[in-house]
Amino acid sequence: MSSSATQLAPKKQEEAKPKLAVLLVEDNQFDAELVLRALQQSGYDVSGTVVQDEATFLKALRANPPEIVLADYNLPDWTGMETLNVLLREGLDIPVILVSGALGDVTAVESIKRGITDYVLKDGLARLPQVVRRALREKYERGLRHLAEEDLAKKVDELARSNADLEQFANVASHDLQEPLRMVAAYTQLLAERYRGKLDEDADKFIGYASEGALRMQMLIQDLLAFSRVGRNATPNRSIDCNSVMVEVLQTLSTPIQESGALIKFDALPTVCANHTQIVQVFQNLIGNAIKFRGIDPPEISITSEKQDGQWLFTMRDNGIGIPKESLENVFVVFQRLHGRTEYPGNGIGLAICKKIIERYGGRVWVESQVGNGSAFKFTLPPEPADEFKREQP
Amino acid sequence: MSTAQVEILLVDDSKEDVDLTLRALRAENLANNIFVARDGEEAMDFLFCSGSHAGRSFEHPPKLVLLDLKLPKIDGLQLLKRIKNDERTKNICVVMMTSSREERDLAIGYSLGVNSYLQKPVDFTEFRQMVKSAVLYWLAINRPPLNSGGELLGTDAAHHTLTGHTK
Repeated sequence: MSSSATQLAPKKQEEAKPKLAVLLVEDNQFDAELVLRALQQSGYDVSGTVVQDEATFLKALRANPPEIVLADYNLPDWTGMETLNVLLREGLDIPVILVSGALGDVTAVESIKRGITDYVLKDGLARLPQVVRRALREKYERGLRHLAEEDLAKKVDELARSNADLEQFANVASHDLQEPLRMVAAYTQLLAERYRGKLDEDADKFIGYASEGALRMQMLIQDLLAFSRVGRNATPNRSIDCNSVMVEVLQTLSTPIQESGALIKFDALPTVCANHTQIVQVFQNLIGNAIKFRGIDPPEISITSEKQDGQWLFTMRDNGIGIPKESLENVFVVFQRLHGRTEYPGNGIGLAICKKIIERYGGRVWVESQVGNGSAFKFTLPPEPADEFKREQP
Repeated sequence: MSTAQVEILLVDDSKEDVDLTLRALRAENLANNIFVARDGEEAMDFLFCSGSHAGRSFEHPPKLVLLDLKLPKIDGLQLLKRIKNDERTKNICVVMMTSSREERDLAIGYSLGVNSYLQKPVDFTEFRQMVKSAVLYWLAINRPPLNSGGELLGTDAAHHTLTGHTK
């Protein structure tokens, strides 16, 4: 079976020879015929146009764009290298192969540097079909790569635009929401001041609910604004010593740490390249959460770091209540809360902000956890540039 | 009230907001000499004695402008620019008041010469406190330069007693 198939194959190729449109720049008619014949003999159905100067080259190029240009290096009125400039001007990506009687090594190298695909000596024409095939294949692959790159660039562009739109939406929405919200809050407060105890019990309760609702909405709006500002922070990155970040965060969180009796341990932490305020925010949100979502025992929190794939990998481990498996990804979504407001206060913005900040620096954040067994929040951050340098020096 | 006596020009298009501000001022007895402009254009006419306020004189400028940022016709920042770029009005204290804090507006405001930039708190008690502090500061504690309208005239008794505190 397989042998009959291989027998058929060459016959089939005979029937349908691949077509090849060649534009030949050559002053010697005899050489031109030799070149075309070499291609024909190798199995191409060649259609060739022969020109000698720039004007006819351009005319042929426009009338019938070839798949490949074969050019003699030395012509009486022109040179093969000039074809490159014409192709560039016309915006055409067509491989040019120099076919020359003699070509010094230096000239050959120089030609290829300037954009010639390859060269073949006239006394070595047997090599021509192979060179042509490779040039066409390379062009095809270049085209595919170009398409893929264009596609990728378009997607990156779309993503960036959609992110920017979203940020702008959050920003504008939250600004414009502030004004009517202030009215609701202020006038409900005025109502309360003037009529508390003068209407019935229900009225006082309703006014109270309205005030609370307005204040909670204000907090949501502020959180949304903070979230939308993460990407708008334009301060340049600098080296941030995470140990000093920890000192600052422990200071800020001193009250909840004392109240909960939290024990916080951390290794000598590295220096990362980022924005100071944002890194403080990440550490503060994560440690704050570890304290907030504590179990029966006082919180024990450890912060460690290690170098992994050229990035710093941080692990914040706690002995808190843990997170159910199905919610491990949800916890990073804006306004996603796993508990009732009375159990654990908050709007569910902290981890979303952490994620946005970390991803802004090309890092990743995720959590490993089991209910009742604590959580380990892991995130990566880029090292400071000098750190990379030091690492590569012996 | 004659517009010649106006101490405070309040520029705000929201009647609810104007009501809140007036309420806050009234509680401190500061709402007597106040004129309310409902858009940037009316504020311009008032300050530059043109249009419906053509009869006014530059000799009696308000001592303080409480300016909302988002206004119809001429917005708050544009109005601020006109006030601070004109020799006749540039010494008037301008306090911008907005619902939301936008860093860019803040930066532009200060570069145009705003005297104060305040964010109106959602909580009414805090709002009342803020309006009171700001107005008392600019009218009673702060000393404007001699060439500003109020000092130049020297006829405003209230002003004399107010500035007297700082001497």
